[in-house]
Amino acid sequence: MATTLTNELPAGAPVVRPDVTLTTLSEDVSSRVLMRSAPLWWWIGFGLSFALLMVLIVQMAVLFIVGIGVWGVEIPVAWGLAIAEYVWWIALASGGTIVSALFFLTRSPWRSATNRIAESMLLSAAPCAGLMPIMHLGRPGFFYWLFPYSTVMGVWPQMRSPLWWDFICLLCYILMSIMYYYAGILPDLATVRDLATTKPKKIFYGILALGWRGSVAEWQNQRIVYAIMSAIMAPMVISVHSVVGLDYAAGLTPGWHDTQFPPYFFFGAVTSGTAVIVMLTILVRWGYGLQSVLTEYHFNAMAKVMLVGSLMLAYAYVWEAFGPLYSSDVAERTEFLHRAFGFTAPLFWSEKILTVIVPQLLWLPVVRGNQVLLFLISGGIIVGMWQERVVFTTASLEHNYMPSYWGNYFPTLWDWATLAGTIGLFLTLFFLFLRFAPIISLAEVREIIEDEKAK
Amino acid sequence: MKKLFGVVAEFATPDAVRNAAEDLRRSGFRAFEAYTPYPVEGLDRIIHPGAKLLLPLLMFSAAVLGACWGYWIQFWDEALNYPINVGGRPYNSWPAFMVGTFEFMLLVTIAAGFIGMLAASGLPRLYHPIFEAGAFERASRDRFVICIEATDPRFDAASVRALFERLGAERIEEVPA
Repeated sequence: MATTLTNELPAGAPVVRPDVTLTTLSEDVSSRVLMRSAPLWWWIGFGLSFALLMVLIVQMAVLFIVGIGVWGVEIPVAWGLAIAEYVWWIALASGGTIVSALFFLTRSPWRSATNRIAESMLLSAAPCAGLMPIMHLGRPGFFYWLFPYSTVMGVWPQMRSPLWWDFICLLCYILMSIMYYYAGILPDLATVRDLATTKPKKIFYGILALGWRGSVAEWQNQRIVYAIMSAIMAPMVISVHSVVGLDYAAGLTPGWHDTQFPPYFFFGAVTSGTAVIVMLTILVRWGYGLQSVLTEYHFNAMAKVMLVGSLMLAYAYVWEAFGPLYSSDVAERTEFLHRAFGFTAPLFWSEKILTVIVPQLLWLPVVRGNQVLLFLISGGIIVGMWQERVVFTTASLEHNYMPSYWGNYFPTLWDWATLAGTIGLFLTLFFLFLRFAPIISLAEVREIIEDEKAK
Repeated sequence: MKKLFGVVAEFATPDAVRNAAEDLRRSGFRAFEAYTPYPVEGLDRIIHPGAKLLLPLLMFSAAVLGACWGYWIQFWDEALNYPINVGGRPYNSWPAFMVGTFEFMLLVTIAAGFIGMLAASGLPRLYHPIFEAGAFERASRDRFVICIEATDPRFDAASVRALFERLGAERIEEVPA
């Protein structure tokens, strides 16, 4: 079963602590969903997130009434924080699918307890990503013109455009993620249904569980479909984030027009997505007291995924510099020098430190075992990736081909409100997932428990 | 005599339920089903033997159909319905249509798999006679339940009960239809 990551593990870090049984697992995890009122920390966290969500509502109202001039976007930098953050959010979401789908295919045992956190995270992050381009449209009410349906106007989208591919990718990705999530959570909802004691909860989870019985026939169907779904979701998510890279690569702007960007973006997604999952897992583990199910084993494994991601990023960064400097294109070169040593230099260098240099600490087993350090490193990676997307998006537009066309980008208060607001939306959705759905994949952890027992 | 859905037995370990299922199959029962908290290794080969190709084939055909559909939308729009000449490039510029085709293909495949999974399992079905069994409640947690259904030609409540007792069931009960 365990194919990787086990060799140098200390004996004290099993996938599941031996005191967890089938009975305690189901009751522990379900009781977090079924408890009468949520713990104090949940209300505090939810309250703060909800307050941030209100910032988003106000910001959107102002934006839709006044227009996108309230942001710092202008000519020449017409793509500002909102587009950079679109890429950032979709990268975080993609990381969730990677952890969930890719490591299902490799049969990594650590995936079983963390995949639900990863999927809840991605379903919370994807709407934040989806909002960004819609807010960025000058006429947001017309965003549905991108749908390939027969309009009465007779106007059709230009389907050869990477921007349209991107829209289709994001739309398909969200729909597919919902189905993937639901196919996985169905048996666990049945567990919650059978443990519910009050009538409203019985009805609520009874309907959500669709009458799942756990019969052998149902398990067979679920496992077959889930395995194929995983095999589809893994390449799917690579395509989604690569197409985001194509949005840029297909543009002729110096610094964007490069074939390396689809994989470059994807590497960032692996690293930053795993980093969010690590942070959320640490919080869920302490908040819900799930130390026996989410063990050091999981953090060790995820830290290694982050480390690999940061090495891949380092490789991409080397090419990011090598391409412009080796090429004979003056515009490419001056744009890169502007990016690295000009206006955006502080962001550029701190981003490299946060996403590549600091994560090298993860080589040390001590660091991988220390959750405070892991939390800080992951937070650093997420902030660093945000800087990376911002530098990438704005620096190129600041330094286009014509020197007369150069100019710098300054975000306004409303740009920051957008960022804060989407973080509020993300956290609000995640807290709701935490409250209303089992946050550990019970069926899969049960298998791990039985495997451990059989050893 | 009241009509029965079947007789239900509860087992404590996956090994016990696997042995019981094997025994039942050997003694000629066919209409029985196990309810377990997770897919027990090997149990599916005993209770529902045979290759399971329906869902993979369904998903594969959905993939083919989805790809055709995705390509057709783009071809119809860009080449037939609303052709725009961009620098003399071909209207049917298939390389540019590949991303859309790929995404539609995967979306339709996953949707077919999801709906197929539910349909093949007869879900959603909010009520099922097995829910009446007292033992069933723990089958989604930590117990393994087998039910021999009354539709089995060899079904006889008393002898089934004796059989379950011999197999070491922890709890046996009759479930009304």
